[in-house]
Amino acid sequence: MQVHNTEVVIVGGGAAGCYAGLSLHRGGAQTIIVCKGLVGKSGASIFAGNLVLGGRLLGNTEENARNTAEFLIKYHNQFLIDQSWARRCGQWIENVYYPELEEAGLYFRRDNEGNVVTSPGKIRSIAANVQGNSGVPFMDLRRKQLMRARILCLEETAATALLRRQDGSVGGVFGLNYITGEYIVVLARAVILATGYSDRLHARSTGTREMSGDGIAMAWRVGATLANLEMQWWHTNDIAYPPTWQRMQVYPNPMLGSEKSARMINSEGQEFFNQQQDDPLAYGPYTVQLKALAKEVQAGRARYDGGYFAGFDHCDATEVDAYTTYGKGFRQLGLRFPQDLVETAVTAHYRQGGIDVDTETMCSSVLGLYVAGGLGGHSNGLIGLATYDGKVVAEGVLGALARLAPCELPEQQVESERLRLEALLSRGGGGITPAKVKEKVRSVMWEKVGVEKDAATLRSALADIEDIRLDLLPCMGVKRTTRDVNYEWLDAIDAVNMIDACELIIHSSLERKESRGPFMRRDFPNTDNAHWLAANLMKKTENGFRFEQRPYELPFFQPGFVEKNNLEVAW
Amino acid sequence: MKFAYYPGCSARSTCAELNEAMRRVAKKLGLELTQLESATCTGARELRAIDLIGFFTLNLRILALAEREGLPLMTVCNTCTLNLLDAHAAFVGDPELAIKVNETLTNEGLRYSGRTRISHFLWVLYEDIGLKRLRELVTKPLNGLTVAAFYGCHITRPPQRYGFIDSRNNISLERLAELLGCRSIDYSGRTECCGFHTAAHDERVAIKLTGAHIKSAKIGGAKTMVTPCPLCHTVLDGFQREIERDMGEKLDMPVLHLPQLIGLALGLTPEELRVDRHIVDPETIASFVGG
Amino acid sequence: MNIVPAPLGSGDARRLGQIERHDSLEARNSRLAVGDTLTVRVRRFEREGGADILEFRVPYQRAMRVLDALNWIAENEARDLAYRWFCGSKMCGTCAVRMNGREVLACWEAVEPDMTIEPLRNLPVIRDLVVDRSPFERIVASLEPWIERTAPYAGFPEPLLHKEMENASKALDCIGCMACYSACPVIGLGNLTDFAGPAPLVQLAQTALDPRNDPTKVGRALAQTGIFNCVSCYKCEEVCPAGIPIVSRVIEPLKARAAVLVPGMAKHPQILRRIVAARGRVDPGALVLGVQGFTALRNLPRIWRMLVRGKINPVRTLLGLRTAAASAARRLLS
Repeated sequence: MQVHNTEVVIVGGGAAGCYAGLSLHRGGAQTIIVCKGLVGKSGASIFAGNLVLGGRLLGNTEENARNTAEFLIKYHNQFLIDQSWARRCGQWIENVYYPELEEAGLYFRRDNEGNVVTSPGKIRSIAANVQGNSGVPFMDLRRKQLMRARILCLEETAATALLRRQDGSVGGVFGLNYITGEYIVVLARAVILATGYSDRLHARSTGTREMSGDGIAMAWRVGATLANLEMQWWHTNDIAYPPTWQRMQVYPNPMLGSEKSARMINSEGQEFFNQQQDDPLAYGPYTVQLKALAKEVQAGRARYDGGYFAGFDHCDATEVDAYTTYGKGFRQLGLRFPQDLVETAVTAHYRQGGIDVDTETMCSSVLGLYVAGGLGGHSNGLIGLATYDGKVVAEGVLGALARLAPCELPEQQVESERLRLEALLSRGGGGITPAKVKEKVRSVMWEKVGVEKDAATLRSALADIEDIRLDLLPCMGVKRTTRDVNYEWLDAIDAVNMIDACELIIHSSLERKESRGPFMRRDFPNTDNAHWLAANLMKKTENGFRFEQRPYELPFFQPGFVEKNNLEVAW
Repeated sequence: MKFAYYPGCSARSTCAELNEAMRRVAKKLGLELTQLESATCTGARELRAIDLIGFFTLNLRILALAEREGLPLMTVCNTCTLNLLDAHAAFVGDPELAIKVNETLTNEGLRYSGRTRISHFLWVLYEDIGLKRLRELVTKPLNGLTVAAFYGCHITRPPQRYGFIDSRNNISLERLAELLGCRSIDYSGRTECCGFHTAAHDERVAIKLTGAHIKSAKIGGAKTMVTPCPLCHTVLDGFQREIERDMGEKLDMPVLHLPQLIGLALGLTPEELRVDRHIVDPETIASFVGG
Repeated sequence: MNIVPAPLGSGDARRLGQIERHDSLEARNSRLAVGDTLTVRVRRFEREGGADILEFRVPYQRAMRVLDALNWIAENEARDLAYRWFCGSKMCGTCAVRMNGREVLACWEAVEPDMTIEPLRNLPVIRDLVVDRSPFERIVASLEPWIERTAPYAGFPEPLLHKEMENASKALDCIGCMACYSACPVIGLGNLTDFAGPAPLVQLAQTALDPRNDPTKVGRALAQTGIFNCVSCYKCEEVCPAGIPIVSRVIEPLKARAAVLVPGMAKHPQILRRIVAARGRVDPGALVLGVQGFTALRNLPRIWRMLVRGKINPVRTLLGLRTAAASAARRLLS
């Protein structure tokens, strides 16, 4: 067992976690990053297609600036966002984010005249190197910045439990390096959970292999308040076949250097969505697309798991290839590009909800436990926002560092966690494959907690999850009981977290009695701003949990209606 | 059939037997070769790394010389071929480069307009002569000679130039060898690298790489190897004794240039084909040259 | 051969074999249908226990990738199979393997009816298909792959043309999958040379070919790379799933920088250029003498052998005799 002592431990190596690490390092704090995958190579951050221009950057007009802000509040967050946080974030992005990235060497794509290539329209964006692949060089830069700063990164190490001090505050993490099979303990003054937006809880999910709701599960176990778990995006343009490409999107966003964007066609060959035409304000039009799709599904002209198509057949190949990677998937499938369309399906995407935080410090309801990025329940979408969180959490932690004591090794907790994990390893032989348990959980979520839900499906899902917990979990076993590179063992550990996280999500879904943006309830089809323009908070109690609503302030943007059928709402 | 002919540097120095053999075989095949006398080196691999514009200029000049003759251009060396193809592609894809180079070529009354067809002798056999005609011309089939074809990198990669997802799928040499009566083998070194291009400063890489290829050809039962590239030949044949010393075993694997293999089947003698210039004596070949 | 086809069209001979061997994306995606069964062999490996090849029969799924096949095997037949992947969508670069002897990205490559799947070469195998990436990471870290500016940052957006970043931009497509590192025959020779290898060089090129970077720093990094050991075999380009032209857009531009920034490193190319400029064509004897100096004369048996066969011509070499091409070369390369 390796024991590390440091000042701050960050769980997660994506945009938020890396930036938090770099900011803390700049602020003089010793930091260790624990990453379940490989820093800068796993999770959602690498999927950033391009970068939105906020404020008055790069020739943005006042109207562009307002559009960007409005788009964030409405289309990305359905008003379930701290607008003041959003304003601070927007200002930071305008003044610091882009210059800082470029100074560090990130290449914002230029044309041959030296102009930064932008997508035209009501909201403008740019790309790091090439559109469709901005996240890769972006995160690679972070990886190299960490390398340069010599910040220790413990990779392929899954954090499995938060460690607490006697007073209940969080002071460390327990983890497993699943390549070597060694246990890792990192003790610190503060823990930052930055495990990301996307998870892999549905049969089709954009979350990468290692994502299993760990952040939600671990935070809940130590009593952190959660918010808006039910609010989840869905990608509408993800490739239907092969299964492993469920994360590969036919990006619907406006293309750099072009007036066009991808279009969507139903099973009868009719176009039913084209962002630049149908909703130019919806720069990242995921919810708008979803609503358009829902109408098609309800009319029998598409299904959520396929039967509709997307592509660029209305464009010139050179137009798409000039600044984007969008044609690559088509060609790799042996299709003609741009003439051929590809069959697409929905995929569960960002979980807007997560751990509730104080948006000025990123501190959760548990002392010592901080959150940054997608895991937080305070906003949704965009790599810039996750990066901003990294800055805010670093400042929040640095500000509190003097008050946060170092953590002594909590021997009992460590031993207890070690035994728990050993039990999952040693129960060998003919048990149920953990991968099958995960698959079962995903299948329940896909069938019953999918795009359209109601109380009946949700309660049925709860029952199914309960069955899995009581009947399948205890029977899980691994075939190979050696510790190194044991993905079965990791699956078993993940399965437990998945069940916990899914249960919380379903309860939270039952509680929000409305539809809002991507959250669609058949039994409550209206968006209800009178009662539900509020954070749906889930608080742990002695014998379970209770819900509380915290309405959002509306200083800058207001919805402009009280109640309306969700499918008729533009966002 | 008329071709402008560009033998390259090796075919007129280290592998001068290639040029002689090619000329004799050309006569048999009815190919009229017009050698481009003032054509320079294409720059091997080194020039394009440190002097890109010099590289383009020399290569486009060669293509312009061929264009002036109004003839397609035939090559007998892989690296020359790839250099010319790359220069041509750059010319077509970059109008600014085209203008710049043509400005320089104007000084000697030359100009390239992108019309030269570049064809390695291997492709000329398929595309201009055709296998049907070739079969008619074969008078001494190489009955059962087991041959290991060694392609050499630059005639089958990069994919951007040749289009193979997997360059091992290239079967042009084997098909040809079989038409001549040979039996060809599959072996691990077929489309691998001989290491020639670093040999001038460190031949150990070439020795190690090529040693493994010859060994696997031998284990596969090959009695001779054939290659369309004199640079590969220089390692395969020219360095074979060093390879044997490095491996601690005798290989005695004769290596033929492509025109030599063709020539034998067309009835030319080994002497006419100048196999006497090889380090490894292909005396065993004669027994396969049947009737 | 019984059937002799008619003469091929221009350009077809160089692609002979493509049709027969399904060597196109269209063919590789249409040769199988749902209902077909694949035969898949996987090389398994345990540090204690060694290697073993196991065979599986896998049902074809629509548009199936190699990763889908591995997932099926792990879910149905070999639950303890170890293989790395994160994104499944050609972004994270962690699922590269060898399929039928060829490096592929498992999530990107279409399946074949008959497949043997092995781990990447040139990296230590930890278990089954999982390799140790740390040798690669160590080399990359030693090259310090970040820019250090010589002039203060001008503010966003700074003056920069795409043309200046053209090659760096290609290198930025790299996802660090290491297929190229596995395919490289020079890396395959291990410690014989100090060649850094294609993957680390692509990583380096991202900043080394960036005009905003300090040339002294770039020179320092290049001096460690052994870059002139590259044999230009293009195997790296062949296997790169991101389609980066590694030789022509990364290695050669880096060689060009090394020639300028690291005195003496580019001896071979510089001498070749000098010879061609003077004589019009390469005189191999002059080249070897120029590059190796008198050590070239050590192998007397070889010199004798070559002399006897007429493969070297000392007179021509030593007298600096020129060819008909000399005047053109001198003019064009001066």
